[in-house]
Amino acid sequence: MTVYRCEDSLESVFTAIYLAYEEKRDHMDTCISLTKDPILFAEDVYVMPDQEKMNKVMRSLYRIFGEKDYMSLCMALASQDMGKAQAVYRTVVNGLSARCEAGHLFDNLSNDEVHRAFALARGVGREIGHLREFIRFEELKNGLLCAKINPKNNVIGFLMPHFSDRLPQENFMICDEQRGIFAIHPAGQQWYLFYGGEQELELSFALSAEEQEYQELFRYFCHKIAIEERKNLKLQQGMLPLRYRKNMTEFLHNK
Amino acid sequence: MEYLNVGQDLPLMEKLGILANSAKYDVACTSSGVNRKGNGVDMGNCVAAGICHSFSSDGRCISLLKILLTNECIYDCKYCLNRCSNDVPRATFTPDEICRLTVEFYRRNYIEGLFLSSGILNSPSFTMELIYRTILLLRRKYRFNGYVHVKAIPGADPELIYRTGFLVDRMSINLELPTAEGLRTLAPNKHRKNILTPMRQIQNTITENKNDLVLYRNAPAFVGGGQATQMIIGATPENDYQILSVAENLYQKFDLKRVFYSAFVNVTGDKQLPALPGGPPLLREHRLYQADWLLRFYGFRAEELLDEKRPFFNVLLDPKEDWAVRHLDQFPVEINRAPRELLLRVPGVGVKSANRIVAARRNANLTFVDLKKLGVVLKRALYFITCSGRMMYPVKLEEDYIVRNLTEEQERIRFGNDGMSYRQMSLFDVGSFDQPVTVTDKIQAAAGQL
Ligand code: SF4
Repeated sequence: MTVYRCEDSLESVFTAIYLAYEEKRDHMDTCISLTKDPILFAEDVYVMPDQEKMNKVMRSLYRIFGEKDYMSLCMALASQDMGKAQAVYRTVVNGLSARCEAGHLFDNLSNDEVHRAFALARGVGREIGHLREFIRFEELKNGLLCAKINPKNNVIGFLMPHFSDRLPQENFMICDEQRGIFAIHPAGQQWYLFYGGEQELELSFALSAEEQEYQELFRYFCHKIAIEERKNLKLQQGMLPLRYRKNMTEFLHNK
Repeated sequence: MEYLNVGQDLPLMEKLGILANSAKYDVACTSSGVNRKGNGVDMGNCVAAGICHSFSSDGRCISLLKILLTNECIYDCKYCLNRCSNDVPRATFTPDEICRLTVEFYRRNYIEGLFLSSGILNSPSFTMELIYRTILLLRRKYRFNGYVHVKAIPGADPELIYRTGFLVDRMSINLELPTAEGLRTLAPNKHRKNILTPMRQIQNTITENKNDLVLYRNAPAFVGGGQATQMIIGATPENDYQILSVAENLYQKFDLKRVFYSAFVNVTGDKQLPALPGGPPLLREHRLYQADWLLRFYGFRAEELLDEKRPFFNVLLDPKEDWAVRHLDQFPVEINRAPRELLLRVPGVGVKSANRIVAARRNANLTFVDLKKLGVVLKRALYFITCSGRMMYPVKLEEDYIVRNLTEEQERIRFGNDGMSYRQMSLFDVGSFDQPVTVTDKIQAAAGQL
């Protein structure tokens, strides 16, 4: 058995998939691992992430399976689940050997590995969907809009296209506090990711003069729009899980 | 145009409170139906599936800044907080205030756009013109490219409705009450004809506009997200069958995108209105939404679900289960062979899972374990399906037995100690069940997975 040992990144996992094909491995006897857990009687291969190999794999997957399924694979790899690399690898192997056409990579859900990757992508997709809804920007003194998130999965890169499209002329930034990743969108330009601490960004998080007023207006609006006779906190919680609320304006009180 | 009298100089906070409070009973407020990418310059885009941004303490989605332009009103609809005979604080936004709130809320990702309705100030046309000017300002000066939904005011100059239609994503006119009779008693200033005429006008313009868009790709879109309406449920004595038939008609004859149902809340205490001691008829509203979904996505017709002899929905079973147990001759359905239309009629199988079944069975013969992975709710489906000729458990295809099982395990409704199974609900007693609607029900309904 061959085990490709990867780090937790798209680059690394896609490089491993490239290698598995290039080195003509028996796919049933090969796996990709993101952990250091030893596997008995296995030959460990440490993968050096390689941008060119990654690009080749990504382009092929995109071409063969279509945009939607390709995105699902990428989303699965953003999951916090460490079995994701293996699930994605096997799904790709399954799709290529069954000659799945674009949009049909995840048809075969009775296959466990395919289902696993599908479920991971769905979970990540759900969190992306939630954050699109629940992210709250605050306006800082210099006009920059800043949002903080604490997602389970590494979704920041999936959020940026959405917000860049809708706020093209704003300077805005999303910070994944746990992972220390900052996604930055300068007005009118392409967004990029920045890894590191807040110090390096030299940011002051002081709010603009108007910010407080709009926060208050929105809180008041949320309060007024509810119908007392229909009060149903359980339903509210089902739709808006508690874990998001610590970064949401309407659930915070005056600072 | 002369702009305005009282309630103009209140602080913004106070106005927002009054005008959100008066708008909250309007339910037709999703942000769905339009896909519009950003243009790189203006603020905003639209996502067809719609985006909720928050949920208020009643569990309803907050997607748009839902406000009235003014709660002044010359009419006297009996069910409405803003009726002219009611003594409530009045306020009116200036167009600039509305634009500023919309844009500032939008950039902070509080909302998806604006939902603007209004009481009738001076006259329908006067009000409609104010709405038109506000949206024009929002689009042109504030360069807002996000979602906008406005109410068309019945009785307003058609030209104003026409011009407004090119600025907004969705327009709706409230039917208010399901029948002309109901309207006469509770909204004496409104007439069914005045509501249906502009509805028809909007429908016709949408159709013409679609043809124009085929010819000239850059023609401006008219009400791109389609038309919607809402009905108040439980203020007048119509039965569910009547209401659902009206909805079906609206979908078929007026091409409406959505019909919304709003459980009546008695806010005025008018003598002609039902008192509803048990609260608004939420279960009834919920059943109507479920049935509405069955009409739009599952290929059901109103008269399959209800008829003159059974004009109310079953309290215990959702409309699809109810239909299924009354049509046991059509079951069980073989998962590995049945056409999609039939799969859609199985309780516990939603549109998505039906599609997944059709895709997955090309690769393998599906088993019950597989169905679970495909998102089928086996608890409900197992009475109605076979996999390769076998049922999951030996179950009797017998109405009473299935009903008992479906209702036992769900326990989704707490009901009186009469142990009723098929009692039809009388009109106003639905509210006496407390909070029957479960979270999963709502989420499934929202996702179209009944
Ligand atoms: S027209 Fe009727 S429903 Fe509308 S605001 Fe006036 S009184 Fe209320």
